[in-house]
Amino acid sequence: MSISKKIILLGHFGVGKSSLIRRFVEDTFTDNYKVTIGVHILKKEVNISKEETVSLIIWDLEGNDDITNTRPSYMLGTSGIIYVFDLSRPATYKQLENDINYIKTNYPNTPVKVVGNKKDLVTKDFLKENNDVFKPFVDFFTSAKANTKVNDLFSTLAKELIL
Amino acid sequence: MLAEHKIVHQKAIYQYLTTDNKGLVLESDDTFFANIQSQNIIALHPFFYSITNLLDTKKEEEFLFSCIHLDTDNKNIIADITLKTFAKENPLLIIQDLTTHYNNYQLTAQKRNESVINSQILELKNKYLIEKEEFKNTFIANFSHEIREPLSGISTFVDILKKTNLNTEQADYLNIIKTSSNHLKHMIEDILDISKIEVGKLNLLEESFNTTAFLEEIIFTYKVKAKEKGLDFNNNIEEKLPNFLLGDPYRLKQILSNLLDNAIKYTKKGSITLDVSLNQIRANKANIHFEIKDTGIGIEEENFENIFTSFSQINQNQQNKGTGLGLAIVKSLVELMHGNIAIQSDFNKGTSISFNLSFKLDGSSKKEKVKTISVEKKEKEKYNVLLVEHSEITQLSVLKILAAQKRFFLDIVSNPEDVIPTLKNQKIDIILMDINLPNKTGDTLAQEIRQLPEKELKKIPILALTGKLFPEDLKRYKKAKINDVIRKPFDEKSLLKTIHKYLK
Repeated sequence: MSISKKIILLGHFGVGKSSLIRRFVEDTFTDNYKVTIGVHILKKEVNISKEETVSLIIWDLEGNDDITNTRPSYMLGTSGIIYVFDLSRPATYKQLENDINYIKTNYPNTPVKVVGNKKDLVTKDFLKENNDVFKPFVDFFTSAKANTKVNDLFSTLAKELIL
Repeated sequence: MLAEHKIVHQKAIYQYLTTDNKGLVLESDDTFFANIQSQNIIALHPFFYSITNLLDTKKEEEFLFSCIHLDTDNKNIIADITLKTFAKENPLLIIQDLTTHYNNYQLTAQKRNESVINSQILELKNKYLIEKEEFKNTFIANFSHEIREPLSGISTFVDILKKTNLNTEQADYLNIIKTSSNHLKHMIEDILDISKIEVGKLNLLEESFNTTAFLEEIIFTYKVKAKEKGLDFNNNIEEKLPNFLLGDPYRLKQILSNLLDNAIKYTKKGSITLDVSLNQIRANKANIHFEIKDTGIGIEEENFENIFTSFSQINQNQQNKGTGLGLAIVKSLVELMHGNIAIQSDFNKGTSISFNLSFKLDGSSKKEKVKTISVEKKEKEKYNVLLVEHSEITQLSVLKILAAQKRFFLDIVSNPEDVIPTLKNQKIDIILMDINLPNKTGDTLAQEIRQLPEKELKKIPILALTGKLFPEDLKRYKKAKINDVIRKPFDEKSLLKTIHKYLK
């Protein structure tokens, strides 16, 4: 049995949303940064079990440093949200708590996964030192470049979508 | 004619299609997606899956999805897609191709985002460098402090050993130890000074000083040093110089000493000249010109800038070794005093370094302000000194120095908890307090003493023994009502001088 679910990726520009999707869908990565404008939409089947698959319709949204400016039409029919920030740029997680509260208030029944991306650019000590900042919110520390936890992220969310 | 153009243009960039409420295409004009009648729109692109739940609203509504990338096997377009639903009619989809418009916008967004990201990365790198620099300077300050402690011991015991019966060979060896430890002490001072300057923590004093006495002391010192190397020492001090000035005589001395030491170091024969003259007096400030000339090895013009850089030495032979910080400190201090340093040099002929500094005039100083503290003044009295110190080397150093005077009884306490009981049980005239005590800092202990109910105890002079002399440290000592600071490494003279200053 296969069902389709729309998920969207939100976050500042340059945090690696498109790279995470490219890694997940095509298993590729490039260091060249290309700005996303508007929305790219990709599809990928995820096997939940032997019998069950979920077809994820992944909306890769243009980065925005103010989450409240996200176009409302993009959010229509969203089943899951992935909020991404860049571990190597504090400006992208300065508003982390406010952004997560905004998402949870406006989309109360939608599963949300919070992702600190570009883990390959920071040290273990950095993560330890900033534990208080990240721990209350972050579900996954990923690296699209090093292919760290990318599949885990999408398949965990996919499983939650069919519960 | 216009209507025809309009139709052709619109036909090229618009596709209109209607579907049923499940997404099955009923009508289409085939502009981008051709031959799609009877197909479900879900098959065209994943985007359309996302809107299928909106097709069955049976209400008059309009949804606009802008800037959607419709990448298919045949064509990639960026479009605005409008979905119109009606109460009684089938839904209408309008796809408008805006690829050119959005591609232009993409270029602008790319430039803007890259610029923002680069500036954020630069800011981070800058922050990292500042933190690294601060760590380095704090490390240097702490490390230097740790070195001062044993160095203080070496210096004190060399002085004490010198006063014992030594044969000529032993005295020579001792002189070498003394010279080496002095050299090490100066290098540590230089490293500490440059690290203070670099973090902006070096504060200048403003105190009155006697211009003549100040310059005479320098001239005397360097006449002796020049003579030891077989050089002549000339000085031209203008008589019109004001008698008293307000400024930082210690740092001015450091500037002149560094330049004169350097001049002597790099001059094999000939002379060293110190010129000091008055440029002008204006707005109660005297602008004074200082110039140090030598007939030494000189500097090539391309190296003029480098000689004022930290850790830079132009002449790197073994004889002239040092930290390479002297001139960097000189330049920084002159600039801190709002002056500019200038250099003129002829390679293999000599160098002249000059600078102008402004000092406030001290009109209130009619009488001699430089007091000499007489160590001999109170020779008939005996004083009780309490030394609070955990370093055995410092304990022994103070003990030896004071014992040699035969005018002091010394009590030593290494545990801060024993200090107040000692004060209550014995009459103490003065307290020498280490700051880095185990479990409690010297300034905290001083505060506790100042809060004692017994009037005579809380007024006992407290002198800090420490190498921690950053402005924030000095503020802490002042807040704790510590009367004065004896800088580690100390020698016999500086220790006794400060002690006598506070003995009644």
